[in-house]
Amino acid sequence: MSQSIFGVVSLIFWLLIAPLMIGITFNFILPKEKKRLGITFLLGFLIYVAGFEIIAIPCMTKIMYNAFSYCVKYYVILAWVLMIPGIIKTALAVFKDKDLSKLFYLKKADAKNNRTSTASSITGSDELEIADPDVAKKHKIETYIYWGIFFALLAFQMVMAILMASFDGDDAYYVVESLLAQQADVMNTILPYTGISTSLDIRHALAVITMWIAFIAKVSGIHATIMSHTVIPLIVIPLVYLVYVEIGKSLFRKKQEFVPVFMIIVSFLMMFGNVSIHTPATFFLMRTWQGKAIVCNLVFPLIFWIFLEMMEKKEEKAESTGVEQTTEKVAAKAGIRQKISTASYGWIMLIFVNMLSGMCTAMGVIFATGLIGLLTLILLFIKKDWKVLIGAFICVIPNFVYLALYLSIWSS
Amino acid sequence: MYGIFMECWVDLKLYGGNGVLLALLIISSIYLITSEKDLKKKILFGILPLVILVGFLVPFTKIAYVAAFDDGKDTYYRIMWLIPTYVTIGYAATRALSRVKRDTVRRCLLPVMLVIIAVTGSFVYTNQYMQRAENAYHIPQNVIDIVDEIAPAEGEPRVRAAFPSELVHFVRQYNTNILMPFGREMVVTQWDYYNAVYEVMEKPEVIDAKALVEATRQTKCTYIVMPDNRTIKGSLTDEGLVIRANIEGYTIYEDPQVEAFNG
Repeated sequence: MSQSIFGVVSLIFWLLIAPLMIGITFNFILPKEKKRLGITFLLGFLIYVAGFEIIAIPCMTKIMYNAFSYCVKYYVILAWVLMIPGIIKTALAVFKDKDLSKLFYLKKADAKNNRTSTASSITGSDELEIADPDVAKKHKIETYIYWGIFFALLAFQMVMAILMASFDGDDAYYVVESLLAQQADVMNTILPYTGISTSLDIRHALAVITMWIAFIAKVSGIHATIMSHTVIPLIVIPLVYLVYVEIGKSLFRKKQEFVPVFMIIVSFLMMFGNVSIHTPATFFLMRTWQGKAIVCNLVFPLIFWIFLEMMEKKEEKAESTGVEQTTEKVAAKAGIRQKISTASYGWIMLIFVNMLSGMCTAMGVIFATGLIGLLTLILLFIKKDWKVLIGAFICVIPNFVYLALYLSIWSS
Repeated sequence: MYGIFMECWVDLKLYGGNGVLLALLIISSIYLITSEKDLKKKILFGILPLVILVGFLVPFTKIAYVAAFDDGKDTYYRIMWLIPTYVTIGYAATRALSRVKRDTVRRCLLPVMLVIIAVTGSFVYTNQYMQRAENAYHIPQNVIDIVDEIAPAEGEPRVRAAFPSELVHFVRQYNTNILMPFGREMVVTQWDYYNAVYEVMEKPEVIDAKALVEATRQTKCTYIVMPDNRTIKGSLTDEGLVIRANIEGYTIYEDPQVEAFNG
């Protein structure tokens, strides 16, 4: 019993609190209005897993015996180093200042919403005209109902991830890799199918997502197969939908009441998307814990979201100047750091997204590079600013390092 | 070149299943191209999906992909993952809804859209590869029971056991202290490997007890897990094996002559 409680507490800590604290440490890179809880968590999660890649690959390639134990030890140290500033910031905000807005961007809901909806009825030709407060209130209730339906669908998918078991042959490789790390303290040096020792299988080894799952299994004392099949979907499914929510918010910038409708449609497409074994929806709900599933359902939508945000910037800047007229002091305080973050947070996040893609599968690195190249051309066309090429080049550096490492190990 | 185009077409058909998802994608993209005023949205979710879709069908793309990836022929469909399919369809549908001025019509249209998605799609939880989980591991309970019976105690050397094909995927997902003479690599027929134990245990209709024991002893298998419905010429017990247990239709034979593998 006490072991189960320890396991659950550890899971909550290492899967929710650790990424959130890391996100709070680093959310200074986000523009003010992006410092929301969800994006902070997303940023923290990306840095958290990127840190694992940096620790795991050297441990795997350089340490002969008990490689996984060393990996766990070093990663715990790194995770704490990344978390501590976030913990201090949180403690100060909660206990000293008693003001959570020091950590996150909190929308002053009512006043602002009313202002926005009134403004939107005047400005946007593309918007619902809500001048009457009664109508606005009715729409607000409707929006809450739609959000309620979406969260019910999300909860359903999470419950089904626990209750239903899917068969996939690849688990005999990936899940066993995680379990071998947990039970035999090795990192990809035992053949999962039969158990004989083998040299490092470079084709799969650099995709250390299996080792990260093993890490969570190890620190929580939960069997790696339970971790893969039952626990990981509980974090990946909401995370994927969080990205879709952010995409929805970018798409319906002035019509936020349609975001839950968009989410209901997307979640239906996911649940009924099993038209073949190859679709992202099939991977999402049947092989959630596998690197390929994470690449096509988390990494690629993340890339689209970040580019959507970067393409929006000019407009947003103009908008935010209007809003910030009332809070000039705050804007002045944010100063140059805010300007830098507004210009570059997308590229910085893409660095970590690329690291996540490499952590999931080698194929992800090549696909992500190609997709970023394609979207950069579109960004260049829209913004007509050659500096985007610099950002694009910097953000794919992890991919080139990954490929260089891949080729050097492969040829040695 | 036409042959490669047809391969791409077949890949697309295999990816799209009944084709409705692809049809919805194309309709959504065209709708966004014709009606979206915001240039970036028009390009990202209108033009780009169609460009990638056309690019997928161009033979040169497949030639380059197959050259770049070892398993390129089998994984070419993954190019389709670059299309933001769900965002495109979701955005187009929601945008269309948001243009409807009358609340009642809009409220009725959403369920209609969802019904179309549900009826034309395929519910993932009724898939033939999905079933109710028997335990938190999400592997068959009989595998757990069998492995618990033969697993070495803590500190004892690992053991090797020959399992029938239908169980090999799961054994080491539960306990990596069980080694196997063959695993999933033998079950995937297109990989076409050779394994001496597999040759005598899984390939023939009738198992030759003598040949099987000879092969398992060479590979130091302490246990053989045999489905009760398999026909055996001769008897494994006559070859010196003892029956350890019978669990849910599988008999576990132990070979006293094979010392535990000390790997």
